[in-house]
Amino acid sequence: MDSNTNHTGITRRRFLKDGVLLPLAVAIAGGGVSTIFLRRADARGFYLRPPGALEERRFLAACIKCGKCAQACPYDSIRMAGAGAGVAIGTPHIIARETPCYLCPDLPCAKACPSGALDGKLEDVEKVRMGTAVIVDRENCLSLRGLRCEVCYRQCPLIDNAITILPRHNQRTGVHSIMEPVIHRDKCVGCGICENACVRDKPVIVVMKSPPEQKDYYEF
Amino acid sequence: MSFKWWPIRRLVQLVVIALIASPLAGLNVFRGNLAAGELLGVGLVDPLAFLQATLASRTLVLSFLGSALTVTVLYFVIGGRTFCGWICPVYLVTELNDRLSRYLGFAERSCRLSGTRWSLFVTLSVSLIAGIPLFEILSPIGITSRAIMFRSWMPLLLVLGIIIVEVLAARRIWCRSLCPVGGFYALLGRFSPLRVGFSSQRCTGCGECSRVCPVKEVLAPSLVDGSSQVTSGDCTRCGDCIDICQSRALAVNFWYK
Repeated sequence: MDSNTNHTGITRRRFLKDGVLLPLAVAIAGGGVSTIFLRRADARGFYLRPPGALEERRFLAACIKCGKCAQACPYDSIRMAGAGAGVAIGTPHIIARETPCYLCPDLPCAKACPSGALDGKLEDVEKVRMGTAVIVDRENCLSLRGLRCEVCYRQCPLIDNAITILPRHNQRTGVHSIMEPVIHRDKCVGCGICENACVRDKPVIVVMKSPPEQKDYYEF
Repeated sequence: MSFKWWPIRRLVQLVVIALIASPLAGLNVFRGNLAAGELLGVGLVDPLAFLQATLASRTLVLSFLGSALTVTVLYFVIGGRTFCGWICPVYLVTELNDRLSRYLGFAERSCRLSGTRWSLFVTLSVSLIAGIPLFEILSPIGITSRAIMFRSWMPLLLVLGIIIVEVLAARRIWCRSLCPVGGFYALLGRFSPLRVGFSSQRCTGCGECSRVCPVKEVLAPSLVDGSSQVTSGDCTRCGDCIDICQSRALAVNFWYK
């Protein structure tokens, strides 16, 4: 026994168990859980984040899932992602088809964020960029079929800025016009009110991840 | 009837749960959860959550730092893992579960205490390297509080998993050996002035204190060598040993001896 014990009273066996095996076990377990569970969140589709959210990767780094933004939202638009969300579990997001963001002028959600995942210094709601509305199903859009719908246009809080109506000739009937809703991505804040208001069973206009900016060489 | 700590502690644990649930009733006393909250307008942030988010995002937010420092100073003064023993809802669950499984005669084995330090290390290094606050994703504390705040029940399966492992494999393994929040507060509690004091003259050696203690290793230096204070940071300052001691050999100390 004496040969096994040095002057600190720690046996070799105990040193190996506490200093090597235990940390190794914790590291393997932690690594295993991380690789299985922590897939990139956007691998599961686009999450519409509350106004002022950082870019998705930085947002996930900064959000500590306290839920204060959701509690601050007067419309209960912000929900916390559940168990199926992987790395995004417990992060705030908006399901626009159920309750969109109504763009409170004072942005209480962003101000409630303690960690800076939502930018509390954002003052101007028109500067919010949650995503961009896109007409994903042109065949089923009533306006594009030549009917006078334009509900998305009229519900848009930035009417005539983010969505405008482009009247053009209806070649199918030859006598009518088509009032096409056109979304301007430099103005659209991505609040999802249009997606919420779309009269079709499955919304033909939905908020998607904003496309990256590109230089426009084709201005005319 | 002599003074006992446990009714006060149980009340505090329940008040914490009530505070987390209070926004549901429309009260404006407390907002958020134990990762970050706001009590009567004072911002409070779990220092470990702050460290993870700051390392992961590589951005320092000053108000965030301030709230985390407030909490750090508070827990330094009141004993570090006092958070575990008095505030954490998961500790309450595992504590009640432990009591039940001992009553039913389940596992007496337990794992070594040093694990929390390693999970703290893993949490912080993964947060830094992978750029995600690792523990905030897995945290049963966050999961429990979000279950209360937003009625999202599914993630509670993790807490159920902890309960099953603790019943079948090792007593209190989560709080004792795995939780990095405990590991963080143990580092803080090591130097905290609020400690359990021990009088070897009064001790009759009945061993009741180490029977009720969730981290009985911390009592060993006092019981074996007669050291006059429990100095280990792993002591949760729950006061159960003080309550059970018939000969009043244990007491609350508020300074170093």
